[in-house]
Amino acid sequence: MTPVLSLKNYQAFFHTRRGVIKAVNGISYDVFPGQTLAVVGESGSGKSVSQLSYLGLLTGSPLQIMGGEVLFHGEDLLKMNDSRLRAIRGDKIAMIFQEPMTSLNPYLKIGTQLIEPLVIHRKKTKREAWKLGIEALERVGISRASTSMDAYPHEFSGGMRQRVMIAMALTTDPQVLIADEPTTALDVTVQAQILELLKSIQKEKKMAMILITHDLGVVANSADQVVVMYAGKIFEKGSVDDIFYRSRHPYTQALLRSTPRIDRSDGPLPAIAGNTPDLLMLKEGCPFAERCTFKETVCEERFPEANVLGPQHIRFCHSEKVGA
Amino acid sequence: MKTQGPPLLVVKDLKVHYPVRTGVWNFSEPRFVRAVDGVSLELFPGEVLGLVGESGCGKSSFGRALLRLQEPTSGTLTVLDQNFLNLSGKALRHFRRHIQMVFQDPYASLNPRMTIGEMLAEPLRAHFSLTSGEINHRVDEKLTQVGLSPPSKKKYPHEFSGGQRQRIAIARALILNPKILIADEPVSSLDVSVQAQALNLLKEIQSSAELSMIFISHNLSVVKTISDRIAVMYLGKIVETGQREELFRSPQHPYTQALISAIPIPDPLKERQRKRMPLLGEIPSPEKPPSGCAFHPRCPWRVERCSQDPPELEVTQSSASHRVSCFEAGKAHPL
Repeated sequence: MTPVLSLKNYQAFFHTRRGVIKAVNGISYDVFPGQTLAVVGESGSGKSVSQLSYLGLLTGSPLQIMGGEVLFHGEDLLKMNDSRLRAIRGDKIAMIFQEPMTSLNPYLKIGTQLIEPLVIHRKKTKREAWKLGIEALERVGISRASTSMDAYPHEFSGGMRQRVMIAMALTTDPQVLIADEPTTALDVTVQAQILELLKSIQKEKKMAMILITHDLGVVANSADQVVVMYAGKIFEKGSVDDIFYRSRHPYTQALLRSTPRIDRSDGPLPAIAGNTPDLLMLKEGCPFAERCTFKETVCEERFPEANVLGPQHIRFCHSEKVGA
Repeated sequence: MKTQGPPLLVVKDLKVHYPVRTGVWNFSEPRFVRAVDGVSLELFPGEVLGLVGESGCGKSSFGRALLRLQEPTSGTLTVLDQNFLNLSGKALRHFRRHIQMVFQDPYASLNPRMTIGEMLAEPLRAHFSLTSGEINHRVDEKLTQVGLSPPSKKKYPHEFSGGQRQRIAIARALILNPKILIADEPVSSLDVSVQAQALNLLKEIQSSAELSMIFISHNLSVVKTISDRIAVMYLGKIVETGQREELFRSPQHPYTQALISAIPIPDPLKERQRKRMPLLGEIPSPEKPPSGCAFHPRCPWRVERCSQDPPELEVTQSSASHRVSCFEAGKAHPL
């Protein structure tokens, strides 16, 4: 299978007055059609920046792309001119964001916003687009779709707004959907509905999805492939089963152990010591070293090479003592 | 867990209704948001009671009402055998040292212009006449207890990470050695790797100081980790309450069941095999709660009676400490 999107040694740094923040520091992975790749990490891991930056969505910030390639069907998005990128973004590569409250314009009717991609990218007339918009709302389970087109965002609940965002992202039949914490702001009963909806649409359309999340439960529920990020680096990647059952990275393992879960209840959680690192103060070597129970001298000297464990399973760790 | 002895806190039929302003020239009946609509519960010595519910269910309003940070509209509130709602002025301020709170956002709940030391010393000065040596000693002791070094007291909040700030907020809530701690989403803003530390710390302090705690959260996995007993809230009312194990082993209310089944488990094989209980729609507005049982429009079990009579919180057949408010609970309901 050929990947629809490939990141190759991609780097994006913030140049701030206090110093350089290596938000995305040389990451590589492939995204395949019909599959969901979850990018997991805590705040500051670079999971969102790694996606938004190559789409040109962080231009107002002091972000600079420092190197690497982002290939969409073999074509490097980083070398494209603005108009070419604009033609792909929101059409072949679509996005949904965490905040359904702020990502819709409160002054415009749902319908007006919903048909925008069709009018801009597909050159549809307003009348045609409006009809397609009603169908799009029906597909995401919004009842009375035609009246909903005339409603304003404030008339909708959080879950309904997220459905509208999904409908909007899907109007152009994208090949890649980037979902940045799509259910984090929603209640858990609504989250379950939205995750189901995304899964069913994705299977039907053979669309690739990049799911950015901090929630390991959501990953287990929805992902085929997983990339674990920490301080701008990839620590481990593999199939969802590789990561949950055969992880050989101390951070992945510790993260899994320290997550509270409803199917267990035993004494105190095995917490990870220390705090997530300050990206301005990163030293040489592995950024997890100071919190890691497997730390060796070499860990503070250089970041580890890729250690291939299986057909898809790769970890970046020096220690041979990390058990499966 | 020691739940012997009479309860420290008794809440009866507590209501918090917020008036809705509809403009100056509107002379129609005033409307109210019924954030908390008749909650009764007890908190026993040394116990952690988890209060769980989705956004808008009234759990935070309830927590604030327990400290009278939000005045209850009606109901009674007995804390340490005192009628807490009758206290005012100096007596109220003095009494509040027994019941303290930790808030969700450690960035907003610490004064950025005060050092940690000043912040922790302030309540001591307000409540007791201690020498500065004694105050210093108490501050150092609390900082150590929450895992921070005594020299941190010279620093300002911005010098700490989110997890450390939450430790400071916990130290501040505990500096007066309260009997009761209300923790409103205390770990929700923290990253997973730091969240576990904060949870362990809270649990450790709670059991060593024989503190009673109400732990409010939307996250049932977190609530399960720390609580002895759990109460599930929906639209201003408690729909089910029971000992932790009981509630998870045999949840009786359809909402509790749906809530438990909706939470993703970080285990792909389990996730693939799980059957979820489908819930229609979302939580309705507490301004116009549905008639009868507030859950009935979303309920897969509803019968005619549900839209007419509100069910009471009643003891289940299985256990005296397990109570549920549902007409259809205990009957067979295939998924």
